[in-house]
Amino acid sequence: MMTSRRATELFEQYQQDIYKRTDRLFAGLMAFQWIAGIIFALWVSPLAWDGSVSRTHIHVWAAVFVGGAICLFPALLGLFRAGRPSTRYTIAIAQMLMGALLIHLTGGRIETHFHVFGSLAFLAFYRDWRVLVPATVVVALDHMLRGFFWPQSVYGVLVPSNWRWVEHAAWVIFEDVFLVMSCQRAIVEMRERADRTATLEHEVRTRQQAENVASLTAAVGLALTRGTELRAMLQHCADALMAHIQGGAARIWTYTDAGKVLELQATAGVGIDSAPHARDIPLGLGVIGAAAEARKPLVTHHPNRDLPAEQAQWMQQQGLVAFAAYPLLLDSKLVGAIAIYSTYEFSSSALDAMAAVADGMALGVNRKRAERELERYTRDIESAHDTQRRNAEQLATVVDQLRVMQREAEAATRAKSDFLASMSHELRTPLNAIILYSELLQEVAADNGQPASVPDLRRIQSAANHLLELINGILDLSKIEAGKMTLSLETFEVRSMVEAMLDTVKPLLQKNGNTLTVNYGEGLGTMRADLMKTRQILLNLLSNAGKFTHGGTIRLDVDGTTATGRSWVTFTVTDTGVGMTADERQKIFDPFTQADVTTTRKYGGTGLGLAIVARFCALMGGEVAVESRPGEGSRFTVLLPRQVAEPVPDAMAAGV
Amino acid sequence: MLTTDTSTGKGPRQRQPWLWLLIAVWLATAVSGLRIVWAYDNTPGVLARAPQRWPAASALTRTMGEPALVVFAHPQCPCTRASLGELGEVLARARRPLKTFVVFLKPASFEAGWEKTGLWAAAAQLPGAVAVRDDGGAEAHAFGVETSGQVLLYDAAGKLRFNGGITGSRGHAGDNPGRAALVALIGETPAARDGASVFGCPLFAAGS
Repeated sequence: MMTSRRATELFEQYQQDIYKRTDRLFAGLMAFQWIAGIIFALWVSPLAWDGSVSRTHIHVWAAVFVGGAICLFPALLGLFRAGRPSTRYTIAIAQMLMGALLIHLTGGRIETHFHVFGSLAFLAFYRDWRVLVPATVVVALDHMLRGFFWPQSVYGVLVPSNWRWVEHAAWVIFEDVFLVMSCQRAIVEMRERADRTATLEHEVRTRQQAENVASLTAAVGLALTRGTELRAMLQHCADALMAHIQGGAARIWTYTDAGKVLELQATAGVGIDSAPHARDIPLGLGVIGAAAEARKPLVTHHPNRDLPAEQAQWMQQQGLVAFAAYPLLLDSKLVGAIAIYSTYEFSSSALDAMAAVADGMALGVNRKRAERELERYTRDIESAHDTQRRNAEQLATVVDQLRVMQREAEAATRAKSDFLASMSHELRTPLNAIILYSELLQEVAADNGQPASVPDLRRIQSAANHLLELINGILDLSKIEAGKMTLSLETFEVRSMVEAMLDTVKPLLQKNGNTLTVNYGEGLGTMRADLMKTRQILLNLLSNAGKFTHGGTIRLDVDGTTATGRSWVTFTVTDTGVGMTADERQKIFDPFTQADVTTTRKYGGTGLGLAIVARFCALMGGEVAVESRPGEGSRFTVLLPRQVAEPVPDAMAAGV
Repeated sequence: MLTTDTSTGKGPRQRQPWLWLLIAVWLATAVSGLRIVWAYDNTPGVLARAPQRWPAASALTRTMGEPALVVFAHPQCPCTRASLGELGEVLARARRPLKTFVVFLKPASFEAGWEKTGLWAAAAQLPGAVAVRDDGGAEAHAFGVETSGQVLLYDAAGKLRFNGGITGSRGHAGDNPGRAALVALIGETPAARDGASVFGCPLFAAGS
């Protein structure tokens, strides 16, 4: 199909070349005939005479003016409008008219009549039989009209037949027949030559296209490896495209989903900067944006039909006849677009090559973006690594410092505990002596009738007892912190243990006008634990409740429960006392800490009771929790395993 | 190069009425010019008022009892070459030699020898023809002739038998009625006519 069209183009081109060449040939011939006619007239009949008077012969003037009128106009057409049908038809008519004039100037010589037949043969140079038609018509009309008006001048007789002109025209047509056959034969040969040339061109073009496709693909492939930045790489690609599209132009855009805009990255080609489309194109706008949005290429060889008027007009001004827009797709994902303008129509192989190039560019764009992301990630990772390294160094320093401080603290703690243990022991001995002696003195004073001394001695005994209690607490804490506190595990009845303990604590609770309520759960049974420490826990909690409750209610709930696959015993002490704030609850299990500093002064106590409770619970694998609101009372819940395990030394120390 | 299909750049033909109008004007001009030339060539000259009997005033001496042919010619007239050509045709067809005088005008204002042109030489070569110089046009006046190419045929009795030209138009050789009639009369056969239009230069200027 394309070869056939090319053959037609070549044939028309050959014809046009012949038309133009013959037109110019006739332009020269016209001038020659004109001048020859003048020379001939000057030679044969320069003067006309009236007796002894002469004047320029009318044939000279006819050669100059009539010959000029006949020749000059078609000669000018042949020079300036060569190849046009009107030119060769005019030349054909002029040639026949010139023949008539020359025949006349030569006195009607029969030899000059060959000018007519020679001219017809000459007109056949056009290889266009149609030019013979006006020439023949002129000859026929000339003979017909002159046959009517001046028969002698054309036929040599005064009264010829009315159809004599037909005879003369027939001889001309006789020659025309051969000339037409000659023209047709020449046209057939010209057509065959055009077919052969088109076929050859097609073969050469196909080979060249294959080479060019490979060359273009290689050039773009090479360009895709050049340029450190995306824009530089695409500019190399545009330049490579231009090297293969002579006289054309190209533009390359990239696309990101974020902006929904095709951003111009590279431009190549003369005049492209004056293109009507914008540098940055919103997706879907214009033919390029539409092609990108549709993910389909747009190719046209008919800009006026397929493109907006403004763009088509611009292409016409630039001499561009073909346009192609390709989306750059990577697995159907749009990464950009290219637009290519050409001064020639795209061949099918060229379109295949450009599609391949578009795929390659899409890969290139994606690769560059991946490289950019990778660089960014690498920088981030390196930065994070640096930060982490610095933090690790700082942490190591801190850990080292902490270790030093821990060792120092442990040493200090052990020193303190040792000191406290020894000091407590040293203090308890005289205190026990003071207590015993004050008690003995009270009995002596009572026996000796000195009752006035008893209250003072009782105060001494009470103060000594308080001091002893304080020292015992300190001694217990120091043992726990020193890891020297041991458990003495035994199995005992829970309820019996509680009731025995209540006998001791009841007077203390009732001292402030409080009411004690005790509730036992069903099937309490026994538990294996350190009896003394369990009693101490309950004593401390209940004495605390009694201490901070006045005229209220204190309740003890004892129950068994199962959690996390183990059996537990819960002791809950609830009072309606003064209660605590959240901040106070945070500190009450710290040694030497009461709810606030005024508490010790107001309620007494050492501030060690709850600290010891917490540590004893921890030693036995249990825990203590508190709920309280200021003015509403408190609730302490102790959870102890029904079967306390033998403690390991580290666990004992860690439980503090 | 990726692109291959060559565009011929052909567009739709534009109609140019002004061009066809120009061609029509040109054609009319050329045809009009040719028509003027044709009209000139086909306009005959003044026919001779020749005497019916051989004029006594003539210096030309005819052979008594034989026909004589007298042709008048302007030695410089280009149209007369065709007339001499036709004369040669006529003489060639004559069954016997015919006394022929080709009288060349020589105005008095020109020097001797002015009349010896190519026409003179051509006339002298015709069989039986004698080229004669006519000083001042005396013979032309005697025969009443005013146009070059004028042919007069007198029979053996000296009576005028043909008066006219023997070309179809000015300077055009070829068959024509004048020549045909003359050939017939010389052959003493019936002729369709005894005269024809004469085409040639005037022998005398107007008013002379």
